[in-house]
Amino acid sequence: MIAAIDLKKYFGAVAAVDGVTFTAYDGQVTGLLGPNGAGKTTTLRMLYGVMRPDTGTIEVDHIDATKHPRDAQARLGVLPDVAGLYPRLTAREQVRYYGELHGLAGDELEARTTELLRSLDLMHLVDRRAAGYSHGERTKVAIARALVHEPQNVLLDEPTNGLDVMSTRAVRTIIRRLKSEGRCVLFSSHVMQEVSALCDAIVVIAGGRVVAHGTPDELRARAGYDNLEDAFVALAGVGEPR
Amino acid sequence: MMRPGQLPRWARQVRVVLMKELVDSFRDKRALASILLSILVGPLITGFMMNRIADRQKDADDVRIPIVGAQNAPALVQWLSQQSGVSIATSPSDPEQAVRDQSEYVVLVVPGDYVEDFRSSRPASIKLVADSARADTHGQVERVQRLLAQYSAEIGALRLIGRGVSPAAATPLKVEAVEVSTTQQRAAKLLSVIPLMVLLAAFTGAMQLATDATAGERERGSLEALLANPVPRGALALGKVMASALAGMLAVMVTAGLCTALLRFIPLQELGMRFRFGAPHMVGLMAAALPVCLLTASVQSCVATLAKSFKEAQTYMGILILAPMIIGVMGTLYPIDNQPWMYGVPLLGQYVLLTSVLGGYAPGPFAFLTAAVVCVLSAALLLRATVALLNDERIVFGR
Repeated sequence: MIAAIDLKKYFGAVAAVDGVTFTAYDGQVTGLLGPNGAGKTTTLRMLYGVMRPDTGTIEVDHIDATKHPRDAQARLGVLPDVAGLYPRLTAREQVRYYGELHGLAGDELEARTTELLRSLDLMHLVDRRAAGYSHGERTKVAIARALVHEPQNVLLDEPTNGLDVMSTRAVRTIIRRLKSEGRCVLFSSHVMQEVSALCDAIVVIAGGRVVAHGTPDELRARAGYDNLEDAFVALAGVGEPR
Repeated sequence: MMRPGQLPRWARQVRVVLMKELVDSFRDKRALASILLSILVGPLITGFMMNRIADRQKDADDVRIPIVGAQNAPALVQWLSQQSGVSIATSPSDPEQAVRDQSEYVVLVVPGDYVEDFRSSRPASIKLVADSARADTHGQVERVQRLLAQYSAEIGALRLIGRGVSPAAATPLKVEAVEVSTTQQRAAKLLSVIPLMVLLAAFTGAMQLATDATAGERERGSLEALLANPVPRGALALGKVMASALAGMLAVMVTAGLCTALLRFIPLQELGMRFRFGAPHMVGLMAAALPVCLLTASVQSCVATLAKSFKEAQTYMGILILAPMIIGVMGTLYPIDNQPWMYGVPLLGQYVLLTSVLGGYAPGPFAFLTAAVVCVLSAALLLRATVALLNDERIVFGR
């Protein structure tokens, strides 16, 4: 479970995140929906501990992440906005590196790595270096290394961005499986179909604030549109004035 | 969590980062090739040059003297041909042209009036055609000049004796050169490029890894994901710095090993040096040079973290490497006499220590310790600065 409580982050005089509050629950997929520049990435960065909020609190499984960032990070699996791999390491080595940083070792780590790469259909990359991977392969390996320590909470920043249909489906399958395992999945997107297809709860962010929060049905009802995309445009205030 | 006899968690993380960086960079074939080249080129050029110097010294003993008008001075020619290593050659038709186009390095010209002047005890002129712009034939030309001066003095002495005067009266001064430097010290002066090579290796060896693990990590977009792991920034920075320090140490050992191996093949005796390099010297070189790798790795990591891009980082690396070069050039131009304070100055201390060790003079363990401690302390400060940079969001996410 991840709770963000009144998070604020300023870059100079600009408020990138201006009071964001929401909770993502275990066994649910929560979508962070918003137009480009709404503050999704900055919010996620604060949640996974690479940016410090100017004010506000973050709780990861009831651990205060602002006070104990390493303990919180140990319970997170993270796919950042830009998730570069090491071009000279193989898929197995990329995953193993993160596992070792999380304190895993030995046969347990090897078994988990193999199991993870097999379940993500990446066995053909196991001993190939990352330099020649396709975009989809890179994303899947980056997801694999984020999951090696079996985190209770998974944060994915625009995981399907720029992926083809097959890779997008693969990522959706991963997200559904994580949910069925009872994990808390929080992912950001600006793509409507993505969110409506996967999410149990949606947090709509615009201008650094949460403008709506609820299930897809609740949001449709609230905005008065049957179509989630219209509802999003209305809620985010990015279309014609309400 | 912690079992007895096990490293604390952060230390294990340092080791994980260290091993990953080493594996990663040893697969970087292009970087390895450039490091190898920069390590090898220095010692090879030095060895080649020293070999040439020694060869030339030997060449100077064997001189070939073409003489124009040899029939004018048969006694001189005969005297010359009796000197060891001297061979008299037939003269080229145009002596000056022959020297100019480098087919001869020296030509003697004996003019027709030599006989007349010589017989009547007037200074008989003789022309020595040489090109002083050619550095590589100085030795031979000097030998010919010495031979002529010797012949001149011998004839002069004979003439004085013939007139009943002691030749000693014509030699008011007798200059005796007293050499105070030991042969090892003189060898060290010639070998003063080796400390520079070793210091440069500490920079070039660590450089590639230091930039790739910091500026490269950020430019590839892998830094953010790495920082999302539950690893203290200090452990990340320490692992990376230690990895590049190890690479620097490897380069230092290879360079020192190569330089000392070359010393065996260079005919130093021909240079009048009896340089004996043994295991204690090698231990001294390592004790002086290895700690400086911690410093070079941490200063390079810190600067590369500060750089906005990989390219900018490489530019800074080029500037950093000027530091040992300046010390090396100053050391060769102006002889540095060891002052105790020098051991407390990073790089200068190592340079002085390395020069001393090669000169066969050991400055004592306190000097080594001082120089090492200064390196470790400044490396620790730079590591803290790097950690502070990694905690700065503007650095991590670009400005």
